[in-house]
Amino acid sequence: MKNVILLTIDALRKDALGCYGNESGLTPFIDSLQDKCIRFTRGQTSGPYTQASFPGILTSSYYLEYGKPKGLSPHRTLISEPLKQAGIVTAAFHSNPYLCDYLGWNRGWDVFYDSMEEEVDPKIPYIKGDVINSKVDKWLSSYTQGGGYKPFFLWLHYMDIHEPYIPDRKYIDMVDPSVNTSPDEMYNLFKEVLLKRDVSNEETVKLLKKLYDAHVREVDTYTRDFFATLEKLDILKDSVVIITNDHGDEFNEHGGFSHDDKMYSELIDMPLLIYDPSKDKGEVCDTLVSNVDIPPTIIYLFGLDPVAGFEGHSLLPLEDYPQKGCFGEAIDQRSQRGGDIEKDVYFYREQDLKVIYRANLDSWEMYDLKADPKELNNIVDASPKAEELKSKLKPSVRRWLKK
Amino acid sequence: MTEQDKTKRCAELVEKSKEVVREAFKKFDPVDTAITWTGGKDSTTTLWIISQVCQEDGIKLPKVMTIGEGDSFPEIHDFINKWSKEWKLDLEWCINQDVIDAAGGKLSAIVRVKDLDERNQAEIKRIGYEGDTFPFEAESYVGNHLMKTVVFNQFIERNGVKGIFQGLRRDEQPARAQDEYFEHKEAAHLVPEHTRIKPILHFTERDIWDNIMVNQIPYCVLYEQGYRSLGAKTTSAIAEPGVPAWEQDLEHTVERAGRRQDKEQMMERLRKLGYM
Repeated sequence: MKNVILLTIDALRKDALGCYGNESGLTPFIDSLQDKCIRFTRGQTSGPYTQASFPGILTSSYYLEYGKPKGLSPHRTLISEPLKQAGIVTAAFHSNPYLCDYLGWNRGWDVFYDSMEEEVDPKIPYIKGDVINSKVDKWLSSYTQGGGYKPFFLWLHYMDIHEPYIPDRKYIDMVDPSVNTSPDEMYNLFKEVLLKRDVSNEETVKLLKKLYDAHVREVDTYTRDFFATLEKLDILKDSVVIITNDHGDEFNEHGGFSHDDKMYSELIDMPLLIYDPSKDKGEVCDTLVSNVDIPPTIIYLFGLDPVAGFEGHSLLPLEDYPQKGCFGEAIDQRSQRGGDIEKDVYFYREQDLKVIYRANLDSWEMYDLKADPKELNNIVDASPKAEELKSKLKPSVRRWLKK
Repeated sequence: MTEQDKTKRCAELVEKSKEVVREAFKKFDPVDTAITWTGGKDSTTTLWIISQVCQEDGIKLPKVMTIGEGDSFPEIHDFINKWSKEWKLDLEWCINQDVIDAAGGKLSAIVRVKDLDERNQAEIKRIGYEGDTFPFEAESYVGNHLMKTVVFNQFIERNGVKGIFQGLRRDEQPARAQDEYFEHKEAAHLVPEHTRIKPILHFTERDIWDNIMVNQIPYCVLYEQGYRSLGAKTTSAIAEPGVPAWEQDLEHTVERAGRRQDKEQMMERLRKLGYM
C-alpha cells in the first residue's frame, strides 16, 4: 500500500500553471511532473475562499451544510479520522488560521502543526513554504527511519501566494526583473489598493498580478524542494501525491481583488493533479470533478471502505467515476462580524454551463464557459437550459433552514 | 499501574530529564542559564529536577525568573513566595512596569500606545498592531506580547542568558509534538539569541501528577480545587469544581479549557492576511 500525500496551495489560480496553459514559465517543476500525473482539466472548488472550500477538500462536505459555521462541525468527518481509525499515521503541516486547532481542524491527526504559536511579521503573516518543508522533512525523516514504517497520510499546505504580495527579489527577477517596487511599497499597495479593492488603476492591477506571479514561482520552488526530500528519503516511489489549490485569486476580472464571495472561474477553477510515480505515461481527464471528491479518493487509495457521509466520489478508478454536476457556495465575508449568512451565493455547473444564484438579491446568472470563458455574457434569460440548471441548484439554497 | 510500577516509571522519566539538564550544563556554563517558573505544575517539576541535578553534581542552582503579568492568582503568588524562601532561590520577579503604570494598575483599562515608553512602542510596531489603544489584559494580543514575551526577552538580554529552562510538554497540544529538548532561537529585531531547554518534554500530564505524588513535590492549592491549567486569573477556568486535577479524566478531556489567547492569535493572523 502506498502513502498518500495531499499538497494544497492557497490562492493558486489554475491558469497560473504551465500545465494548464500558462506561458510565463511560472511552474517549471510542477509542469515537469506531467508524465507521471493524471491531470484533471475541469476541476471545481466548492467555494471561493478557504472556509468555503476546505470542508470539501478535507471533509467531503459543503460549507453551509449546517448554516454559518463557527468552527468545524462535529457532524463532519475529517479525512484524518477514518484513516487514523484504520491504523494509518496522519500528519498535517500548515499555516492557515482558518484551519487551526482552535477551530477544530486538529481532529484525528497524529501530528498537527498549525503554526499558531509562532510570531509572524505583518509583511509575511504566515510560516513560509521552506519552513513548512523543513518541518515536514524532520517529521518524515524520523518517522520513516530504518524503513518498515506503516503507510502514512500527509497533508501540507503552502500559504506563500496569499496576500500581502511581497515576494523576495529573487522571485521577482525570475518573473520580471524590471519591477522595482520596494517591499514597503508593496505593503502599501496591499493596504491602500488591495484591501480597499480599488481596481481603478490598470497599471497597479498589472503590477499586483506580477507580484502574485512571483509568489507562484516561489511556491513551485518549494514544491520542487519537497519532492527532493521525498526522493532523498526514498519515499517518493511508494507515494501518491495529490496537488491542488483551495481557491484562486481575482485581478479585476469581475471588478475586485483577492477572493471574495464570487463564483467565477478565476476563483472556482481548480488545478488537480494526481502524481503516481508508477505510471508509465501522463493522462488527462476532462470530466467535471469537484474538490469534495478528494477525500473519497484518498480513502480509495488506502483500500478502505467508503465513508458514510462523504458527498464526493472517488476519482479513481477513472472509468468508474460518475458524470455529475458541480456545486459550491459561500457567504459575503466582508460584512460585519466576519460574514453574513443572509448574503449567500451558490453555483451549479454541468458540462460547460454554470448558473450562479445570489439569494438576498434573488438574482440569477448563467454562463457558457466554452463560448464565453471570461463569464461576461449572462445568458440566463436566453438559454433553453437555464430552467433545468436552476431547478437543480434550488433545493440546496438555504437548506440548513429546513433541517 | 501498581505503585511500584508508577515509582519505576517516574524514576525513568526523571532520569531522562536529568540527562537533558546535564547536557545543557555541558553546552552552557550554568551561570549563563536560567529557569522560568510560573508556579504551575510543569515548571515546578522542571525546577525540582534541575535542583536535584545541581545537588547531585555540586552546581549552584541557576537564577530563576517568574513573570508578573498583572493578573495573577494570589494563591500562585503565595506559593512562589513560600517555596522560593524554602528552597533559597535566586528569584527575579519580572514585570513590564511601564504598561502597568499606563493602565493605572487596573485590569481591562484602556491603554494609550503613546503613553508607553519607546521600547514598548517599538514592540507594538514589531507585532504589526496598528491601533492607538489596547485593553490591559494579560491574554489579549498586545497584552500577552508586552506582559510576557517582551518581559521574557528583556530578562534574557539583561542577564546575558544563553540557555533558559522551560516546563513545556509535548502532549500539551499536537503543535508541540515535534518539539525538541533544545530549541535555538536566532537573534532578531528586539529578540536576543538564546536556546530554550525543555527537560520535561516527554512527560504527559498524568506523568506530572504521578511524579509530584511519588516525589512529594509541592503544588499550588488551586489544583486541589479543580484547575488543571493555570494562566492569568481572569481567563483560567476550573475544569471540574472540587475535583483535584489528578483525579480528573486527564486522558479524555482537554487540559487547556480557557483558550482566549488562541482565539486572539487566530484573529490577529486573519487581520494581517487582510480578513476581518
